[in-house]
Amino acid sequence: MPVVSSWWRRTGFLSAIWQAALVAGVCLAGWWLYGNLVENLTRTRIPTDFDFLTQPTGFAIPENFGFDPSLPIWRMVLIGVQNTFLAGLVGVLLASIVGLIVGVARLSSNWLVARMAQVFVEGFRNTPPLVVIVFFSFAVFSFGPLPVFPEALDLKLPGSDSNWLVLSKSRIGIPSLSAERHTGLFWIIVVCGVVAAAGVWVWRSRRHVRTGEPHHRVLWALGSFALVVIVAFLALGGPYAWSLPARSENGRRLISGFGTSAAYLSLTLALALYTASHIAEVVRASILAVPKGQSEAAGALALSPFQRYRHVVLPQGLRIAVPPTINQYLNLVKNTSLGTVVGYADVTNLTRTSIGNANPAPQSIAVLMGVYLVFSLVISLLLNIYNRSVQLRER
Amino acid sequence: MTATVPPPENHPTGAERGAPARPTARAWARENLFNNRHNSVLTVLIGAGLVALTIYGARFLFVTGQWEPVRTNLTLLMMGTFPRAEQWRVVVQVYLLCAAVGLVWGGLTASSRDRARDAGVPFSRARLRDGIRRWWPVFVLLVALLGMTRTWLPLAFVASALAVGVVARRVMEALGAAWRGPAWFFAGICALAGWQVVSGTGGIAWWWGSALVAAAVLRTTRNVRTDARWQPLARFALIAGAIAVVRAVYAQFDFSGVGWDDWSGFQLNLVAAAASIVLAFPVGLAAAVGRRSTLPAVRWLSVGYIELIRGVPLITLLFMGDLFLGFFLPTEDPLSKVTRAIAVMTLFTGAYLAEIVRGGLQAVPRGQVEAAQAIGLSAPRVLGMIVLPQALRAVIPALVGQFINLFKDSTLLSIIALTEILRIRESIHGQREFLIVGIAETLVFVAFAFWALAFTMSRESQRLERRLGVGER
Repeated sequence: MPVVSSWWRRTGFLSAIWQAALVAGVCLAGWWLYGNLVENLTRTRIPTDFDFLTQPTGFAIPENFGFDPSLPIWRMVLIGVQNTFLAGLVGVLLASIVGLIVGVARLSSNWLVARMAQVFVEGFRNTPPLVVIVFFSFAVFSFGPLPVFPEALDLKLPGSDSNWLVLSKSRIGIPSLSAERHTGLFWIIVVCGVVAAAGVWVWRSRRHVRTGEPHHRVLWALGSFALVVIVAFLALGGPYAWSLPARSENGRRLISGFGTSAAYLSLTLALALYTASHIAEVVRASILAVPKGQSEAAGALALSPFQRYRHVVLPQGLRIAVPPTINQYLNLVKNTSLGTVVGYADVTNLTRTSIGNANPAPQSIAVLMGVYLVFSLVISLLLNIYNRSVQLRER
Repeated sequence: MTATVPPPENHPTGAERGAPARPTARAWARENLFNNRHNSVLTVLIGAGLVALTIYGARFLFVTGQWEPVRTNLTLLMMGTFPRAEQWRVVVQVYLLCAAVGLVWGGLTASSRDRARDAGVPFSRARLRDGIRRWWPVFVLLVALLGMTRTWLPLAFVASALAVGVVARRVMEALGAAWRGPAWFFAGICALAGWQVVSGTGGIAWWWGSALVAAAVLRTTRNVRTDARWQPLARFALIAGAIAVVRAVYAQFDFSGVGWDDWSGFQLNLVAAAASIVLAFPVGLAAAVGRRSTLPAVRWLSVGYIELIRGVPLITLLFMGDLFLGFFLPTEDPLSKVTRAIAVMTLFTGAYLAEIVRGGLQAVPRGQVEAAQAIGLSAPRVLGMIVLPQALRAVIPALVGQFINLFKDSTLLSIIALTEILRIRESIHGQREFLIVGIAETLVFVAFAFWALAFTMSRESQRLERRLGVGER
C-alpha cells in the first residue's frame, strides 16, 4: 500500500528548505562580515577598492635589479609570482630527484645505505621547514664560513682564468647560457624536432603493433629529437654559449653568468630536502605496495633486475605514487611563502612589504590568496591529467 | 649495534623462543653490508663518511659548540615572556597533566591485564627499558635540558612530575579494570584543573567543567532502565542538574589566571598547536560530513571552504589574522594577537581535518549504513552511532600526523611577531654578548626540540596504526 505523506513532509521539500536556510544564513553572515569590513576600512580611511594595484610600487626588489620602483604594483606582483615559480620549480625538481634516490635507498639490501636513508627521512620530516630554512640562511650563509661579497670566493676552471662558481655570503654566481645568434630560428627548429619526435613515436608504435617487433619508441623519439637539435645547433653556429660568472670592475656586482642570492638557495635547498623526505616515503610505500609476486613472476620470465623494475614494479608503483606526490608538490609551492623570513622576494614577501608601505591589507591579501589558488589549481589540474593517463583503466 | 651481540644459546628469552637463532656479527655483516662487490664499496665509502661525520658532530656537540646562548636563556626559550611570578601555575599544570596521563595509562593497563587473565594469556607489563627505547628522543631532550641547567630545581621538578605520573598509574592498576571508565573521568578532571590553574576559573571556564561532569553523569546512568517516554526528560534533568551544581561550585571561587596572550616560548608552540587542533575538530567534522552530504548546497559550501583554505599557504591566513581579522567584527577593540592567530590556525586545521575525516568516512563499508537504515535509525543516529565511531577510530593516526604538522607550523607564528621559540631564539642574538655567538647552536637546539617531540609522536602513531590495523581491512 503506497503511503502518501503530506507535501511538507516529503524529502524533496524538506531538503530544499534546509538548503535555502543554510544558504540564506551563510549569505547573511557573509554580508554582515563584509559590511563590518567596509565600515571599518572607511572609518580608518583605508580605500575599499583595488585602485592601489596601478599605483607605483615605491621600492626596489633585491632579487631583480632591473625592476624599476616606479612600475605599478601589479607588475610587482608578477615579479613575485615569477620568483615564487622559480623557487617552486627548482624545489620540485630537486625534491623529486633526491626523494626518488632516498626512497629507493631505503629499500637497499645494504643495511648501512638503508639506515642512512632512514635517518635522512626521519630527520627532515620531523623538523619544521622554517627552522631548516633559517638554518641555511643564517648558520650556513650569513654567519657561515663564506666571505662577504666583494671578497667573494672565485673558483677557477682548471688551467683557465675564468670562474665557474662565485661564492659569497649573500650572492652566488653560476654559469648560464647566453643568447648569441639566430635564437628565434633555433627555437623554431626545436619545436619542429618535437613534432618529428612525436611522428617517430607514432611510427614505432604502429610498427610494433603490426609486426610485434620491439618498438624502443623512447630511444627512437629522443634520438631523433637530439639529432635535430644538435644538427640545428651546429648549423646555426652556436645560438647559445656558456656565460661564466664574472664580477664587475669594482667587484660589487655580477655582470655575467646567473647570479642567485643566498636567500633563494636557502629556501630552495631547505624546501627540497624537507619535501624530499616526504617524497622518499611515498616512493618507498609505493614500491612496497606492488605485490612481491609481481617481481618474482618477472624474475621467472628471466627479466633482469633492471627490466623487472622498469617494466613491472615501477609502472605499478608509479600509479600509487602519483596522487600523494601531487600533494607534496602543492605543499612545496605553498611553502615557498616561507622565503619571507629570509628575505627572498617571493610574492608573499613583496605583498607584505607593499602592505607595510600603506597599501590596503585586505585587498593585497586577497590578491595574494588568488595567486596561490591559481598556482594550486594549475598544478593539480596538470598533474591530475597526468594521473589519469597512468591510472589503471578498469572495466 | 644491537645485532652484534649474539644471545647465549642455552637461555632463549621468552620473546625469542622459537625464533631462529641470531646470526653472528660476522655472518650478519656479510649478509647485510658486504653481500656483493657493489655493496662492499658502498659500505666502505659511507662508513668512512659516517665516521668523519660522527667525529665532527661529537666535536660540535662537546668541544667546539658554543652552547652558552642556549644555557643562559633556557628559561626564556621554554617560557618566553610568561610572567615569572606566575611560573608556579605551569609547574602545577605539569604535575596535573602527568597525573592525568598516569591515570589513563594505569586504567588501560589494568583492563588489558584483566582481559588477558580472562583469556588465559600471559600478560607482562610494559617495561621501563621498552619505554626508553620508544621514547628515547624525549629522554635525550630532557637530559640535554637538565644538563644545561645551573640549579637542581629543574631536576627535582622533572623527577617529581614523573613520580606523580608513575604513582597515578600504579594506583589505577591496583584499583583494577572496573575503574577504567572513572579513570578517564579523573584524568579529565586533572587535565581540566591543569588548564584552569593557569587560565583561571573566570569567564566561561565553568562551562568546560560542567560539560565534563554532565558527560560522566550520562555515562554512568546509561544502563539505568527508564520508561522510554521519560528518558529524554530524565537526561535533560541530569544535564541541567550537573550544570547547575558545577556552576554553583565555580561561583564559590574567584581564581583569576593568566590568559593565553601571556604564553610564549616553546609553551606557545605547544599550546597553539593543541588549542587549534581541539577547536578545529568540530569544524573539520562538520565540513567532512557536509562534503559527503546529498544536499548540493551543503556539499558545495563545504567543498568551497575546504579547497579555499587548502589552496593557500598558512602564512597568508596568518597575515589576514594579524592585519585585518578584527575588521570583520563590529567591536572597536580588536581581539588579542594570540587569539587571532589561534582562530586562523583553527580555520586552517579545520579544512585539513575535514579531508582526514572524509578518508575515514569513506573507509566505513556501505553495508554498515544500509544495515543501520534497515533497522530504522534516523540519519543523525546512523551518523553518530554507526558511521562516526568507526570512521574516527580509523583516522586517529592521521589526526596525530596533522597535530605534528600543526606543531611544526606553529613556528610560522614568529612571522607575525608572536614570541614563540624561533622568535625568542632570534631575540637571544640581540643580547650584546651573543650577537654573533652560537648562531648554529641555538638553531640546532630549537630544531632538536621540535624533532624529538615530532619524531616520538609520529612513531607512536605508526604503532597505533599497526595496532588498529588501519588499511588492512
